[in-house]
Amino acid sequence: MIVLERVSKTYYPDSVGLDDVSLRIEAGEFVSIVGQSGAGKTTLAKLLMAEEPPSAGRIEIGGWDITRIRPRDIPELRRQIGVIFQDYKLLPKKTVFENVSFALEVAGATSNHIRDIVPQVLMIVGLEDRAKRFPRQLSGGEQQRVVIARSLVHRPKVLLADEPTGNLDTMNTRDIMDLLVKINAFGTTVVLVTHNREVVNALKRRVIILKEGRVVSDVAHGKYMLTV
Amino acid sequence: MTTAWRIFAASWKHFARNLWIGLATVFVFTVALLSVNVLIATNVMLEQTVAYFEEKIDVTITFQPDTPEALLTQARFYVQSFPQTESVRLVTPQEAYDAFKERYKSNAKILEAVTELSVNPLGAQLIIKAKETKDYPFLLSAVRNPQFEPFIRSSSYDDHRDAISSIRDAARSMRLFGSGLVAVFALFGLLAAFNAIRVAIYTQREEIAIMRLVGASSAYIRLPFVLEGVWLATLACVVTALSVWAAIQVGEPRLQTMFAGSDPGIMAFYVANRSFLVFTQFGIMAALSAMVSWIAVGRYIKR
Repeated sequence: MIVLERVSKTYYPDSVGLDDVSLRIEAGEFVSIVGQSGAGKTTLAKLLMAEEPPSAGRIEIGGWDITRIRPRDIPELRRQIGVIFQDYKLLPKKTVFENVSFALEVAGATSNHIRDIVPQVLMIVGLEDRAKRFPRQLSGGEQQRVVIARSLVHRPKVLLADEPTGNLDTMNTRDIMDLLVKINAFGTTVVLVTHNREVVNALKRRVIILKEGRVVSDVAHGKYMLTV
Repeated sequence: MTTAWRIFAASWKHFARNLWIGLATVFVFTVALLSVNVLIATNVMLEQTVAYFEEKIDVTITFQPDTPEALLTQARFYVQSFPQTESVRLVTPQEAYDAFKERYKSNAKILEAVTELSVNPLGAQLIIKAKETKDYPFLLSAVRNPQFEPFIRSSSYDDHRDAISSIRDAARSMRLFGSGLVAVFALFGLLAAFNAIRVAIYTQREEIAIMRLVGASSAYIRLPFVLEGVWLATLACVVTALSVWAAIQVGEPRLQTMFAGSDPGIMAFYVANRSFLVFTQFGIMAALSAMVSWIAVGRYIKR
């Protein structure tokens, strides 16, 4: 469960990222957070990843209050939240296998466990035959699937996807969204941050709309309307 | 244990996959170390030059021809007893006479004049070599005590005083200048190495940020870079050692002509001080690489 209580984020000197946002996302939900550029979507994602601290309010993930999380505890949080980025953020000098296994290595997983789990995850995302390739040798859609594989190896309770289809064509976008839906079906909470109206509307899941840092709409089976 | 092995392996993989950046850094390290070693070798040659001239210096005390032999022997033991004395040689009047004739054997007039004298006009000589040039005034004043003074005809120190003083001053200046220059080049070398590592890590700043985003701890990100820095320093030291060795092998025989056929002493210096030189240069370079890597990576580890 993710809880935001009256969360605000301001950037020096007076730019507002989020303004008094309160949210509650239940375990196993698939929530789309939408809004135009500058609405506060990325700020919200950064706060959930503890990339930045909030200026005010309280954030709790799975019962863990991360509002004033200590820097040394951040890696532990990141291992519990799977994160997918628009620009993939793969390690360019590591192979597909190494990129995925790196997420396990940093958590101290044994070599046997890594050898077992990584091929399984690569099979889930359909990249079992790309294990020895480097990111530059993959298409955008394949790179995004590597990122998903990397975020899944910890079996996270929460998967945060920040504009995961932003750099992809229609075909790859559909593949990635199908994967996210499948992951959600296994019980993982998925928080999708996007401005892609078609993607959100096709999902027919809960939609939270942000505008100028505030929640202006929160609909259980909503649509992201053009007029908003 | 597993984590330690992973960090070790990651440092090697990182080095292999960033080979060009690594080799560029090794090149900067090597140039820095070589410049310091060139100055060290130059300093050794200067020291050898000074030592060569110092070796040539001695002081000769000439006694009156009628000085008793017992007093001469006593004077020799007296000078020998000082810790400042390197060696003392007593030249008897006959030996001095023979040496004189040998020296002027090609000058018939001088030889004829000496032969016409019925007695040996030359006195005994005490040839004193001090351990250091600064000790000559002390040894001379010690010999010129009331016991020996009446029998001393002359001393060659007065003739050599200016030369001894000049060599002593030159040696002091050269040592000071050489050490200063080595220190300055070492500082420049360290700065160059410092910046080479910073640049190498700057090119990998995005990777560092990604590692953090996927849950790597600060130490897990930093340590492979720190170890890689140590490997780079090791490689640079090996390349430097081989280059220095090859340069000495090729260059030293050619330098012997400048030292009147004697050994310039560079290889001997490196062999005698090999442990100190290797461990100092490697230690400083490795410690610097490790420290700078740790700090530089930290700049790109955000929350």
